[in-house]
Amino acid sequence: MPKSFLIDTTRCTACRGCQMACKDWHNLPAIETKQTGTHQNPPDLNPCNYKLVRFHEHKTADGRVMWNFFPDQCRHCIHPVCKDVADMAVPGAIIQDEATGAILCTEKSAQLSPEDAQAVIEACPYNIPRLDPVTKMLTKCDMCFDRVSNGLLPMCVKSCPTGTMLFGERSEILAEAKKRLAKIKKTFPKAFLADQRDVNVIFLLAEEKEHYYEYAAF
Amino acid sequence: MNSTRRAFLKGVSAGVLCISLSQLGFDLTEAKAYAKELKIKNCRAVTSVCPFCAVCCQVIAYERNGELIATEGDPDFPINEGSLCAKGASLWSMYTNKHRPTKPMYRAPYSDKWVEKDWDWTPDRIAHLVKEARDKDLILKNEKGQTVNRLESVFWMGTSHASNEECAAIHQAMKGLGVVSIDHQARV
Amino acid sequence: MTNHWIDIKNANCILIMGSNCAEHHPVSMKWVLRAKDNGAKLIHVDPKFSRTSARCDVHVPIRSGSDIAFLGGMINYILEKKLYQEEYVKNYTNASVVVGPDYDFVDGVFSGLNRETRTYDKKAWAFSKGNDGMLVVDDEWKNPRCVINLLRKHYSRYTLKNVSDVTGIPEKTIIEVYDDFCATGKPDKAGTIMYALGWTQHTNGVQIIRTSSIIQLLLGNIGVAGGGINALRGEPNVQGSTDHALLYDSLPGYLPMLRAQFQTLDAYLKGCTPNKELPNSVNWKSNNPKYMVSLLKGWFGDAATPENDFGYSWLPKLEPTGNTSYYSVIDRAYKDKMRGGFVFGVNPCQSFPNTHKVRACLDHLDWMVCGEVHNSETSDNWHRPGADPSKIKTEVFLLPSAHRIEKEGTISNSGRWLQWFDKAVEPAGEARDFGNMIVPLINKIRDLYRKENGVLPEPILNLYWPKEFKAEEWTKRINGQYWKDVTVGGTMHKRGEQVDKFADLAQDGSTSSLNWLYCGSYTEAGGNKSKNRDKSQTPAQAKLGLYPKWSWCWPVNRRVLYNRASVDTHGKPWNPNLPVIEWDGSKWKDGMDVIDGGGAPVADREKGRLPFIMCADGLGHLYGPGRADGPFPEHYEPVETPLKAHPFSKQLSSPVYLSYDSDLDKLAAPGDPKYPIVLTTYSMTEHWCGGGETRNTPNLLEAEPQLYVEMSEELAAIKGIKNGDGVIVESIRGKVEAIAMVTVRLKPFTIMGRTVHLIGMPFAFGWLTPKCGDSTNRLTTGVYDPNTTIQEDKACMVDIYKAEKLTEIA
Repeated sequence: MPKSFLIDTTRCTACRGCQMACKDWHNLPAIETKQTGTHQNPPDLNPCNYKLVRFHEHKTADGRVMWNFFPDQCRHCIHPVCKDVADMAVPGAIIQDEATGAILCTEKSAQLSPEDAQAVIEACPYNIPRLDPVTKMLTKCDMCFDRVSNGLLPMCVKSCPTGTMLFGERSEILAEAKKRLAKIKKTFPKAFLADQRDVNVIFLLAEEKEHYYEYAAF
Repeated sequence: MNSTRRAFLKGVSAGVLCISLSQLGFDLTEAKAYAKELKIKNCRAVTSVCPFCAVCCQVIAYERNGELIATEGDPDFPINEGSLCAKGASLWSMYTNKHRPTKPMYRAPYSDKWVEKDWDWTPDRIAHLVKEARDKDLILKNEKGQTVNRLESVFWMGTSHASNEECAAIHQAMKGLGVVSIDHQARV
Repeated sequence: MTNHWIDIKNANCILIMGSNCAEHHPVSMKWVLRAKDNGAKLIHVDPKFSRTSARCDVHVPIRSGSDIAFLGGMINYILEKKLYQEEYVKNYTNASVVVGPDYDFVDGVFSGLNRETRTYDKKAWAFSKGNDGMLVVDDEWKNPRCVINLLRKHYSRYTLKNVSDVTGIPEKTIIEVYDDFCATGKPDKAGTIMYALGWTQHTNGVQIIRTSSIIQLLLGNIGVAGGGINALRGEPNVQGSTDHALLYDSLPGYLPMLRAQFQTLDAYLKGCTPNKELPNSVNWKSNNPKYMVSLLKGWFGDAATPENDFGYSWLPKLEPTGNTSYYSVIDRAYKDKMRGGFVFGVNPCQSFPNTHKVRACLDHLDWMVCGEVHNSETSDNWHRPGADPSKIKTEVFLLPSAHRIEKEGTISNSGRWLQWFDKAVEPAGEARDFGNMIVPLINKIRDLYRKENGVLPEPILNLYWPKEFKAEEWTKRINGQYWKDVTVGGTMHKRGEQVDKFADLAQDGSTSSLNWLYCGSYTEAGGNKSKNRDKSQTPAQAKLGLYPKWSWCWPVNRRVLYNRASVDTHGKPWNPNLPVIEWDGSKWKDGMDVIDGGGAPVADREKGRLPFIMCADGLGHLYGPGRADGPFPEHYEPVETPLKAHPFSKQLSSPVYLSYDSDLDKLAAPGDPKYPIVLTTYSMTEHWCGGGETRNTPNLLEAEPQLYVEMSEELAAIKGIKNGDGVIVESIRGKVEAIAMVTVRLKPFTIMGRTVHLIGMPFAFGWLTPKCGDSTNRLTTGVYDPNTTIQEDKACMVDIYKAEKLTEIA
């Protein structure tokens, strides 16, 4: 049984502790950004940001303001399409760890031709991997594989103050996710667990995915 | 882009699934190679407190050979239970960034630049300036003839970044000098 | 905070007002959401829908500067609907106390006002006293001048319509919020209030907080688990630095400031030691003489003797109403009355209001010593855009300071927990901690006085002062030590031993303590208690989340202040499910919180003690005659306001707010059509205050890179501004460039029948970080609360328009 994350967006305050903790742990340098009329920055995932809190706001039909936060990251799919596509070109460029279910881009991913790398990126239903122009490797969330292999929590989960993010055995995470969904449905009848059968990073969303991010769910 | 992606996936997913099944099993050697040694291994874990808001989350700083390797929340501290916000989670990059001055800096009157000074000259110069101001300006009596011993021409601003111990020392020092204009971030 | 962070989980309703805790105290949300998990209702009253509002059940947009109207309306609602906790109000507050004949309130001002000096004579508000010096009490509430009746009369004007007209909140929403929060008036329910600078930074900030105290006292929410008034202290150690009085107007431990009218120690002690006003009052401040003498002993050691008044005569004394706050320094510097000074760990050129004036005034200094982690807009002020360094005389020193992880010592969190931090690494380069700057500097000054003599050398040369700074030595000094061998309660103490508790501090010079509140934190038996890391607790404590063995908290490790108000007059907890303390018939039970003040429950006429031990009458003050601007909070408009009149009285703004009169202290007239939009300012999660540290942390700058202004879609449409456009925000004091953030999270208000727009800006961005924008505080007003001299950053008037080009942001 692999490990899973629950990302319960109904608890997220977009404090961005996860986004920063990820950068600090992975020693990822900062990139130059601009204010463009949103708090979301950087605008997208990139080789220096494996984790990004996306911000989306709208008004409901009855005039209620909704400000949704979506701590985006690799879903560590149970059947990772990215790996399948990569394997066709360079076996071992993307691997799946049996013990944890972590999907990892290895140094071999640098051997992917630009076209193959692009195919891998396009294959991801969640728009996650990015090509590092310097190392030519594919980059994305690695589940803090070093930490998890040593019995520690992924850094984003560790830093989360509100219980938005949980990490553990898939069965336990799924059980907790269903419990939380049942509760939240009383307030948000449209709430759902995004692609819970296919992914190991399960997002609990209160509204339709369009109110979070176009790739929030498949 | 979404529709292209979906179309693409529809096209490949069946075949992809076959490949997956035919390659049952995982390449364990690769995954093991990926499991780099934990960077905080063999570090001294030191307990500190986040230097920002007054929740005062406790943090663990990992030090090895005098170098700060990483920081994270202290899981035992009952208030933050290991968690941190954006600022608290950025302590490592905050401490290791290159923007910090590392020597006393001095800007002479009418100069357009900073120059580096040492820790002998700088406090010597400041001590002379303070004494000069105090000897010239200390108000021993007010208009009513009451003893007031005030040094009104010198001020102290700051700081709630200081520890309690530093605050106590600063307050005592200012009382000794007669400084009455003391203030800090209780207001801002 | 009367309570502490974890205790927030115990609330049944949380009113977050004047705070955006999810953004400014992000980890507090852990406990706010746990309360929600337990069924608590979360209410956020704030001009802007923020990350806090996103997690609350209700967000109520309110026009900035109308908080007292909203809260005063709640007082009226509580009294009209009799939603108060009557037994609590009758026994623990001054509801029954009779006010003297001189108190009056006419046309929006209280009696005793001197319009010329803009001050009140507070004597006009005094209580009636009997021949025995005790307060006159009417338990039947029949006397029209007893507090509860005056309170009723005062807030009868705070009708739903008036409140709605001024705040812009629909009446229906007001009723819903009042009902939700007032439901905590039941004895076994608790409501808490979380506030921060959104309340303090007004010309009537103290009175906003007073209004919340009145509500919490009426609802019986002070002293109980899940209750209280919780000031979310801002800076990391602003609790500690306030306790240790890095302030002009008080001494460590909140002892009164030294003033010229107290020429001798005896006069000071007499003047500052209140007499008991009710027979069962603890009147804790009667101990002030012991604390004061121990403080003098801490400062001067063996040089402090009974013969020399323990050094009292050497110390500086302010005039009776002398105000030497930050802002008087700025004003006096501008008028060439300051020679130089120290600016440590604060960035006035960014964080103070009306920074045009602040920046200009620093040019008038002969010298300035900055202690900072980074070069800041203050240390580099001579270099600022538009300034000519060759015309600026100031000699500037920038002392590189150590970061937290590079030093050791203690801080006090908002819940008053004393937390030790260890040093992990050496300071970068030659950086030093503040202690290792100030201690050697004072030693150099002492050497100069020894060598050259000078004016009044005694207070400097007689300081009890070490050769070098060692943090833990000061932790011990703060607690306090014995200066001679004495026997206390049968126990012998040697000179140099640590004092065990503040009850052992003495007035005879045998003890020292740099802060009586912290006495008990470092003892012979317990060692340095700030290092305690024991999570064990009794089941009752665990239910509360009290953690009494983790660190230590002032006073005497009491985790919930005024906790004796959490029980009825017989000592039974109002809420039997979450008892903080409990009387077992003969004593207070063990294994709970540390009882506040000792004695028996109030029902015991002889040994019973009233709960509010820091007040001379032992009661919670619905009527508070000690403030500079009135015994009851009253709605006044911000000094810059869109209104020319409001429905509560003819007095538009506070009659006693503080201001300065230089040419740079410009104010727009009320309702000035040139500046029709309300501006409120705030901080954000990713940057810290003026931004000096966080803008120098590249990852944080990546997440929030540039100055923005949040505005409604409606206003943007009127002004022809699109999301992401460069705009200019202009007040009568200056212009600031920003990027427009057009959002559904702000909406126009309907105030007194017309539309008022409100915009909001952070103040973290400054010119020293390239291309990010410059100080928002160039727009704000230099007008201040008369009690605290805190500026009105939360409301001023501006206009906004699209920028042709941007020069500060790129």
